Amino acid sequence: MIEVKNLYKSFDGNNMVLKNVSAVFEKGKTNLIIGKSGSGKTVLLKSILGIYDVDEGEIWYNDRNFLLADDKERKKLRQEIGMVFQGGALFDSITVADNIRFPLEMFTNMTAKEKSHRVQSCLERVNIERQAFKLFPNEISGGMQKRVSIARAIALNPKYLFCDEPNSGLDPETATVIDNLIHAITKEFEITTIINTHDMNSVIEIGESILFISKGEQEWTGTKHEVLNSGNQKLDDFIFANKLYSKMKK
Amino acid sequence: MKFFFHIGRYFVMLKKVFARPEKYRMYIRQLFHEIENLGLNSIGIVVIISVFIGGIMVIQFAYNMANPLYPSELVGLGTRDTLLLEFSSTMLALIMAGKIGSNITSEIGTMRVTEQIDSLEIMGVNSASYIILPKIVAVVFIFPFLYILSVFFGLVGGLFTGILSDVVTMKDYIDGIQFLFIPYYVMFSIIKTLVFGFLVASVPAYFGYYVQGGALEVGKASTRAVVNTNILILFFDLILTRLLLA
Ligand SMILES: Nc1ncnc2c1ncn2[C@@H]1O[C@H](COP(=O)(O)OP(=O)(O)OP(=O)(O)O)[C@@H](O)[C@H]1O
Ligand SMILES: [Mg+2]
Repeated sequence: MIEVKNLYKSFDGNNMVLKNVSAVFEKGKTNLIIGKSGSGKTVLLKSILGIYDVDEGEIWYNDRNFLLADDKERKKLRQEIGMVFQGGALFDSITVADNIRFPLEMFTNMTAKEKSHRVQSCLERVNIERQAFKLFPNEISGGMQKRVSIARAIALNPKYLFCDEPNSGLDPETATVIDNLIHAITKEFEITTIINTHDMNSVIEIGESILFISKGEQEWTGTKHEVLNSGNQKLDDFIFANKLYSKMKK
Repeated sequence: MKFFFHIGRYFVMLKKVFARPEKYRMYIRQLFHEIENLGLNSIGIVVIISVFIGGIMVIQFAYNMANPLYPSELVGLGTRDTLLLEFSSTMLALIMAGKIGSNITSEIGTMRVTEQIDSLEIMGVNSASYIILPKIVAVVFIFPFLYILSVFFGLVGGLFTGILSDVVTMKDYIDGIQFLFIPYYVMFSIIKTLVFGFLVASVPAYFGYYVQGGALEVGKASTRAVVNTNILILFFDLILTRLLLA
């Protein structure tokens, strides 16, 4: 479980991007953060991860207060975190397989054989074929990069998984595959998963818990069953910008 | 004020860079990779440039000293001392700032804008240390070798050009390059190459590490990195020459 309390974040002191955000992200669930482009989703995610320093507020990973943790504790915590970046962020100078092997070499004392095993099982879990193991990230498609990125994020059996728009820029079919994959992994390993998205398909498919933010303020929280009938004007504007969902509601 | 901000942040970065490595085996592997990538791949250009410069210098010295009163050994001596003192250390560092420096900035900058650096940080890796330390060590390590290589090939280039263009005899040239040899010059220049090596790796690394934006900014940062490295090289050349020679 991850909990944030009264989070404020600004850049250069004036540009207030997050305003008083409080939320609970539960274990074993796919927790979604939704909102328009520029609403502060990525900033919120990166603040929770400590890539950005927040101005005010608390961040709890279970019973650990992240902001009060020293470097050593943070480092330890980070090895329990997997992250899928908006752009994949694979290491482009090494092969697909080595991308997965990297965290294993950095943080475990596995033998070469164990590592190969783990690499293989992670990549198979996300349906990457063997021939692609030896390719470099720029030699595989965008959808495959996203999947490899997921494989790398789960290599160390994380307790927390963060995904920043894992299916943006993908065709609807692949996007659904990725959504379902993240959902399945979350259930399988009882992970606390937080996903940033502005894709309504994902919301309807895997939105077990949804936080809607608008201009850095939390506007609504609920589940995929409630999201179409929230009665919240801003949320409705966001959802029903797409005609399909207006029809679905009727 | 911007200037002091950059200086401050540069040292903050260096502090992170020189933290204790997480896993030595990974660093050693990166180090060998960088020595190959930044060092061995520079040998070709160093040899070519040094041969030509050596040749040009011999012709120039011969032209300027075309006076029967000057002993003809002076051509070899002049070429040698110029190579030893300035060309193979300072000029070479300026050239390497262009080749190695822009390479370092664009590589690290690309890692920054594609979130690979964030990715390392989230894994719990000290990204500055993992990416930059092997580059600094590799460049500081190879620079003295490139210096020696450059002096050698500069002298060889001078010899061939001198003989082929008939401005100096082989004997005079060889005598010249042995005449009044001051070993301290080599010592002095090697100290300089160590300092320049550190600058050529760390300054461009700084510009790459703190890039913000996209591919365009990475390109701009590379240019800025090379210009600033060049200025710093010349600045430190001045200081070191004043301190160690005068
Ligand atoms: N490093 C930064 N410095 C200054 N402002 C920033 C920085 N990062 C983000 N912002 C600002 O914060 C706001 C929210 O950005 P953010 O990247 O969180 O949006 P987002 O919700 O993730 O959008 P998208 O869906 O397009 O990814 C934007 O107005 C942006 O300009
Ligand atoms: Mg974003």
